[in-house]
Amino acid sequence: MPELRITVIDPAGLHARPAAKFVQAASRFSSAISIGNGDRFVDAKSLVALLSLGVRPGSQVVLRAEGADASGALLALATELAPYVEPVSGQPGGRETA
Amino acid sequence: MVGLVIVSHSRLLADGLREMVEQVAGPEVAVATAGGTDDGRLGTSALLIEAAIRSADSPDGVLVLLDLGSAALSLELALEALEPQLRSRVTVSQAPLVEGAVLAAVQASLGDPLARVAEAAAAAAGMSKLPGA
Repeated sequence: MPELRITVIDPAGLHARPAAKFVQAASRFSSAISIGNGDRFVDAKSLVALLSLGVRPGSQVVLRAEGADASGALLALATELAPYVEPVSGQPGGRETA
Repeated sequence: MVGLVIVSHSRLLADGLREMVEQVAGPEVAVATAGGTDDGRLGTSALLIEAAIRSADSPDGVLVLLDLGSAALSLELALEALEPQLRSRVTVSQAPLVEGAVLAAVQASLGDPLARVAEAAAAAAGMSKLPGA
């Protein structure tokens, strides 16, 4: 399953506005997409679930997608989060990025 | 796309929440407000609520969120004034106003049906103010 690890650097963590844009972007894909903080994973297409993760500055979040458009979804979501996270190295594929 | 109506005793509160909701969810969602009385005092007005519902209405329906107390009475009067067809596509949310409006607006922006938008708003009741704390 394609997976992407990213570190949130925005001083406000993942706050309401970027979280909403993230959910809107995730919902455009048919793949099942989840986002995890620590060992807790939630549906990336649900704003209430995403806000419940409590993503803080320095949190490392993991995005997982499963489905026909999984890789495209991770790429789009990484782009959506770009202003709030450390630059992502590597391509979303079947392996973890460093 | 489902429209939203924010009912509050305070015009400032309703307008401020609309500003916040629009910034989070984006400009596509219709958000109408009914804040304060007809003559600008603190309170609620059936007439303003009715007008807000008509303004936010779409074939996909309207979700109404309210603050507290007599807002429910004014809303009841407003709903009685609507023709049955319009009334049938209005759902009243029990959700806390701020979180409920934000969650509902984002869900509506996804193009989801009224039941899903109402469900998203309802989830606000269980939200932690200090997630992860």
